[in-house]
Amino acid sequence: MQPRSAERLWNWLSQGIRLPLFAATILLAVYGLFYANPYELRTLSLCGIYALMVIGFQFVFGHAGAVSLAQATFFGLGAYVTGILGASYGLGFFATFPLSCLVPTVVALCIGIPVLRLEDHYFALATMGIGLVVVLVAIQWQSVTGGTNGLPGVPPIEVLGFSAARRFPMFVIVWAFVALGGLIGFQIMRGLYGRAFHVMRESHSAAACMGINVSRLRFTAFLLSAVYAGAAGALMAHLSRVVSPENLELPVMVTCLTMTVIGGRTRIAGAILGASLVVYLREWFRILENFYLMAYGAAALAILMVAPYGLVGAAERLRERLLSSPPPQPPVPATLRFSETSVTNGEPLLVVADVAKAFGGLRALDGVSFTVAEGEIVGLIGPNGSGKTTLLNIISGLYQPDRGSIKFLGQEIAGDPAHRIARLGIARTFQHINLADDLSVLDNIAVARFANEGAGIWQSLAFPGPDPALRHARAVAMTAADMMGVAGVAMQASGKLPYGTRRRVEVARTLAAAPRLLLLDEPAAGLNEEEQRDFACRIRESASRGLTILIIEHNLVFLQELVGRMICLDRGRVIAEGVPAEVQQNKAVIEAYLGRDDGLEPERDGGTISNLQAAP
Amino acid sequence: MSFLQLLLNGVALGATYALVSLGFVFIVNATGAVNFAQGDLVMAGGYVAIALASLFPVPFLLLLPVVALITFVLGIVISLIAYFPLMRRPPATVFISTLLCGMILQNGFLVLFGPEARSGPALIGTGMLHFGGLELSRQAAGTIIVAAIIIVVQYVLFAKTQLGRRLRATAEDREMAEAIGIPAKILIGITFGLGTSLAGIAGALLANQYFVYPTGGVALSVLAYIAVVIGGWGSLAGAVLGSLLISVFQVVVSAYVSYAVATGCLYATLLLIFFLRPQGIFAERVQRRA
Repeated sequence: MQPRSAERLWNWLSQGIRLPLFAATILLAVYGLFYANPYELRTLSLCGIYALMVIGFQFVFGHAGAVSLAQATFFGLGAYVTGILGASYGLGFFATFPLSCLVPTVVALCIGIPVLRLEDHYFALATMGIGLVVVLVAIQWQSVTGGTNGLPGVPPIEVLGFSAARRFPMFVIVWAFVALGGLIGFQIMRGLYGRAFHVMRESHSAAACMGINVSRLRFTAFLLSAVYAGAAGALMAHLSRVVSPENLELPVMVTCLTMTVIGGRTRIAGAILGASLVVYLREWFRILENFYLMAYGAAALAILMVAPYGLVGAAERLRERLLSSPPPQPPVPATLRFSETSVTNGEPLLVVADVAKAFGGLRALDGVSFTVAEGEIVGLIGPNGSGKTTLLNIISGLYQPDRGSIKFLGQEIAGDPAHRIARLGIARTFQHINLADDLSVLDNIAVARFANEGAGIWQSLAFPGPDPALRHARAVAMTAADMMGVAGVAMQASGKLPYGTRRRVEVARTLAAAPRLLLLDEPAAGLNEEEQRDFACRIRESASRGLTILIIEHNLVFLQELVGRMICLDRGRVIAEGVPAEVQQNKAVIEAYLGRDDGLEPERDGGTISNLQAAP
Repeated sequence: MSFLQLLLNGVALGATYALVSLGFVFIVNATGAVNFAQGDLVMAGGYVAIALASLFPVPFLLLLPVVALITFVLGIVISLIAYFPLMRRPPATVFISTLLCGMILQNGFLVLFGPEARSGPALIGTGMLHFGGLELSRQAAGTIIVAAIIIVVQYVLFAKTQLGRRLRATAEDREMAEAIGIPAKILIGITFGLGTSLAGIAGALLANQYFVYPTGGVALSVLAYIAVVIGGWGSLAGAVLGSLLISVFQVVVSAYVSYAVATGCLYATLLLIFFLRPQGIFAERVQRRA
């Protein structure tokens, strides 16, 4: 080996927790290959089977952030398919194994559509309800499943006439599947696609407004979890040679959940560590006999409290603290090209016509109409509760309007899902900063290029090695970061940065997708005057590159110099529209902010109001 | 069996379900957390009732307040373990921690009482009451009465007393409540206690006619959850109504078809509700702000 590549290998190995990971792998292999007795081999195989199930569970629970309680159901279904086809119909491994993966996936496909829209605990309980139905079927359908007693006589795996009836070949097969499953899982999540999951689980709306199809990501994760669980279940049936309702029931689910919480939610190493620890805990605490579930529970609770990222996460953080490695070099910026050619033929870029939205009895928007021409910077003002943010939410697709039309680039977009609107070229920021705190600034920005780079599960699987989509997205993100003046902190975690910097990161993130229309929701809030001036400068510069900007702001001094035109909303209606000076002196606008004839002399600034935030 | 008789049996069962669901909603409202150990706490109530009845040979009705007290303390312990240390984490975390608590409880029952199903003491003796062609066991009649009293008492507690107003204020907006000097944490602890003691009483009432066994709580957690979903998330009256609907459905379908079909249909209904009206049958549509 060349000394250069040896050094590169060492550099790669010494990153994160790779070194202990490799040591553990080698130890396991040596122990399994040379020292373990049949009983220990069985225990090790059990660890591998659970690890495979947990790697699958991490897709939906860890990456997608949805508490699915169907993993045991998929596991049990996989076991039953192998058991029934193997024991009753004498089918071989090459027929039963793919079917064991397929059947849970088809079930996930059917239930995923109604269930995946649900949030949090609704999703958890819905998946659990399905699990209980499947248990009922397994117990009641005695002629096929053998009822409560289950189905004995599952044949061992036979590959090319070679039977894996003994413990050792089974151990090798199981861990080969773990290695394969782990590699595929790592490959899928290593790049831009995986970062998109991270952003999505922090905020669905932020992800959707970055052009990420949240439902599709969740759906994919759910299907992947089913495939892995089915495979693990099939191996379980071959290992224990019997299938019974126990494979489907809640204790399996709780065990899986415990393993994931203990090991770590998003790390493959965490899945293997969690599974092995929990299986061995049961072995070590054999004296506890019936208490083992209690010990699991207590251990998982303790980890939940002290190490929210699991043991692997805790190890990573500990390593970071003890061995401060030099920060990684930021990438060389790549060109970020905005579409500078006009496509509207003189038509306005955005046409909002008669848009209305009510929440219960509250009319947030009551027939709003206006247009924004290409290349314009338009300010949207109005007192609190006048419907500005609701309007932005409707344009960006987070809310459905009750009536009205919104045309962007001549295309009707009212009521379209947010990710589709984002992909047409509308990007936005949020009133409350919506960044993923654990991700670096650069990655937060890079994820906005999800659609531009064509990121997806197949794209992730297509190339070995580092993800080219992520590399390019990061390079472009550097340019966007530079435009907003945050290139210097690009490699830092965004959660630790000061407020003003994070605001600019958010704007940089919208720029990275090279949108045509930018919607900014109070971008200057909480910035000091100097920061505001700098911010305005940068926004003007972006606009000069062909961007159209609609900006909500209370601070009129800030807005005055920035925008060419202002629109004022009050109680869900447009009450004034025109150049800043005109709008600020408009009687209706002043009344909207300060009220009419209330005996108080409004504090004015040369006959105009200057900072609307100060108004009641 | 006549349909009216089935209806009556359904209501008797639903009275206890209502207590379980009410306790569940208390905690949801106070903390936003889903207590997945609720069903296991019902079993805890059943086991406490069995243990107390074997220790003290007095009419069980007199022991019911003791069951309530013991499970109240248990609820506070659960809140200290599963809620308070994790209250600032994402909601799923508390969900998992209560699930784990439930598992610990189940294992505890197994160790202390064994795996076999047990039946609890009768409330006010055994035998049937007859009226107008319908019959009702003394236990069921007692259950309906006790549950009705408790439902009224909790209504008065929340609607009319200062403690109730403070509890509601805490449920509405914890930070605001703290700002005006309400000791929100203590009240959340009390809410956990109350929710759990309702589950405990339900368990003590159920234990006589339906069995208690270590893993019997899981189905009850799910039933309480379904009842609350049907009744509208967070609605106390809805929880009672939802519970009665579920129990009547269960009893009627079990009688005409089978228990397995009844349970299957119930879950299918749950999924259908999720699909068609995620906000519950009786709840008004509320849109969350982005």
